[in-house]
Amino acid sequence: MITPQNVLRHELIGLDVLVAAASNPSHAGISGRIIDETRNTLVIQTGRGLKRIPKKYSTLHIRLPDGTVVEVDGSALVARPEKRITMRIRLEG
Amino acid sequence: MAGNTRKRASRRLARERIETLFKRAAEFYPENPEWSNRCVALARKISMRQRVRIDRRFRRKFCRRCNAYLVPGSNARVRIHRGRVIVTCLSCGHQSRYLLVRSRHG
Repeated sequence: MITPQNVLRHELIGLDVLVAAASNPSHAGISGRIIDETRNTLVIQTGRGLKRIPKKYSTLHIRLPDGTVVEVDGSALVARPEKRITMRIRLEG
Repeated sequence: MAGNTRKRASRRLARERIETLFKRAAEFYPENPEWSNRCVALARKISMRQRVRIDRRFRRKFCRRCNAYLVPGSNARVRIHRGRVIVTCLSCGHQSRYLLVRSRHG
């Protein structure tokens, strides 16, 4: 089950997400369902079509299946999806 | 087997992710079968990396040659021949055969 503790290592495809902040202003505010994932990007299906946003420069609000919303710094997610499973999480504060 | 095959937590996560991915594949298929195929490809990669077997109920739902998510009647032809189920992938033509071992309903 996806928890805020393991969201960095779990499957993101299918989750609803909101790009809360991004260094590129046109990325901020994008919201929708994650369709695909690459090492550096997330492909999100929004009401306005498919958007591919970089992970590194975004802050994401991810809604987990049980309803909780987790705020994630995108740069913590930069990795190929199959490699993310083996990531060691270092939490600070 | 060889070396550090990752911790128990990673393997459990892998199993969950694989199951999630097959669920997504089923959801995506009606509108975007390409996304379903991508889910299958990812699930297989995770299974290979973490050395985790894909559950039997999912094992028959995709084509081993082309990673297509198979839906009988739509992109898969399912026939029975001499005690074996033959599934033909209509995307690439690859056939898989499965033995009918035990009857499931009574």
